[in-house]
Amino acid sequence: MSLREEQRSAASPARRWTLVAVALLGLALVVAPFTFGMFTKGPEGATMMSAFRPFMHAPTLDGYQADLRQIDAGVQQTDGSVNAFLSGGAPDTAAFDAFFPDFASFDHQWPAIDAKMTNLMSQVQGNLGNYQAIAALPSFNLFAWFFVIPGALLALLALGALAFPAWRRGARGALVVVGVGLVVAPIAFQMFSRAPDGTRMMTTFRTMETTQNVEQIQSYFGTMAEGQGAIRLDVVPALERRGLSAAQVATQFPAVATLDANWVHILNDMTPMIGAMSDNVANYQAMRSLPPMTLFPWFFVIPGALVAGLALAAGSGRRRESEAASVPFDAVLEPITVPPLSVREGV
Amino acid sequence: MSARRTVLSRLGFVCRVVAVPVACAASLGLVGALSPSPAGASSSGRTALVGTFKITPGACFGAAVSGTYFRMIDPKGSVATGPFFSNPDSTCPNHTFTLAVPGTQGGLVTGHYQPNPTPAFSATGGALASDIVQPQSFTAIDFSIATNKKDPQTGQSVPCPQIWVKNGKLSGQVEAWSAAWNKLYFNQGSPKPNGSHPGLTLPISGTYNASTHAYLLTWSSQVVGGPFNGFTGYWHLAGTFVPAKGSK
Repeated sequence: MSLREEQRSAASPARRWTLVAVALLGLALVVAPFTFGMFTKGPEGATMMSAFRPFMHAPTLDGYQADLRQIDAGVQQTDGSVNAFLSGGAPDTAAFDAFFPDFASFDHQWPAIDAKMTNLMSQVQGNLGNYQAIAALPSFNLFAWFFVIPGALLALLALGALAFPAWRRGARGALVVVGVGLVVAPIAFQMFSRAPDGTRMMTTFRTMETTQNVEQIQSYFGTMAEGQGAIRLDVVPALERRGLSAAQVATQFPAVATLDANWVHILNDMTPMIGAMSDNVANYQAMRSLPPMTLFPWFFVIPGALVAGLALAAGSGRRRESEAASVPFDAVLEPITVPPLSVREGV
Repeated sequence: MSARRTVLSRLGFVCRVVAVPVACAASLGLVGALSPSPAGASSSGRTALVGTFKITPGACFGAAVSGTYFRMIDPKGSVATGPFFSNPDSTCPNHTFTLAVPGTQGGLVTGHYQPNPTPAFSATGGALASDIVQPQSFTAIDFSIATNKKDPQTGQSVPCPQIWVKNGKLSGQVEAWSAAWNKLYFNQGSPKPNGSHPGLTLPISGTYNASTHAYLLTWSSQVVGGPFNGFTGYWHLAGTFVPAKGSK
């Protein structure tokens, strides 16, 4: 491109408009993470994902369900055959409750605890795939930078092209590349399928990751600990006082013995999970306050397509302007000297 | 209150800095030496009690509880009325009291850390620290206490415990007081490692009889983070203070 062409291009309002639009889009991408608070909320989301990672495996989640089933089996057996054995015939619930008040207190609360906890674990299990889909995305720590870096690049390229017309051809190509990159990135990261998974997980966790729910689970934990303690320290010793050895207790009341034997393991399992749930209430709320995940791919695709389109339009505009303006403009400034044609050359 | 906090912080700072190459006790001695007051006494009229707060084992007599014990207050509860977490392994009729048994060093040592051993836990998550108290079962898993230069829950550097007496009243800080249970740590200091008093966290208070050396120390500390987030530990230490050699 000659210096005159560049001067003409610089004077073209149509081309300037496209570059200004690209610069504004770039700046909007830079500003968006600040507006949405992504620099703090992104890392909080990353912390939450990281905190849940140790638990989000099928065997681990199956283990929690098994723990709950073991507790339930122990409670049922205590209510049934243990009660009958200690009552000397049919179960005598009133007498049993009077004799073992700590167990009775737990026993009355257990059905609600079991239903809630089992449902909670089922919901978590149901979202394992959704969690894994989000975990497969780039870290939320980087999330804001996915907006800022291409946005800054777009703005710099557009502003540079506006300020230095000689850069325009190169800048236009670069803008097309960045725009296409923005369109392609969500497809490459499978954001269109994973983001809805993330939205589903966030929706499910809405009722789980609350202070109220966590406090309720903490209270369940206390109740379960007290109930298991009553079985371990009151009921089983009562069986032993009736002449049963530990081996006989294990044989006749296997669910009770299994619960006793596995209780520490159950605590080892459940306590860190309750801790993770408790520690991540604020992180979840931060994530929740971001725009829905399903929109995120479009935050890249739409500006990317616009930028690529504008950059291409600027190029075609330049050609049209060049074609339209070159003859009269050049004719005035640079008259072309045409050498005379000979007959032979003309043939 | 803020002036008091500043003095505490300064002393804590001295303790923290000197603790790296020298034992905390030496730093407390240094503070005393720099002070115009007699060894262990500060210009505010408080005397630093440097030594071991030997603890009397907890004991239950019906509903009455004496000696050294711990209670855990439910979130939204109060120190005075609870509700309290019930520990089925408590030997008291009222399971909300978990009694303490003195550890190998007899109790809380001021001017020194009494850190967690390595490893700090058994394979099943039982705490192994036994300097201050013997590990006690809490819902079937042993818990214990230690004071560490770096608080294991928050990762923050904390000063070693310091207790002062003035007119028979005790004050001080136990930021480093840390409970271990089920492979988890819970800071139970007052103030907390960042100097705050969240929730039901209350400063150390108590009494000291200079002639008999009998003391009573109490404080509460809200758990921040983890499975017991929002619960508050109430600590009741009673026993006899034994000054360190060279200390008043």
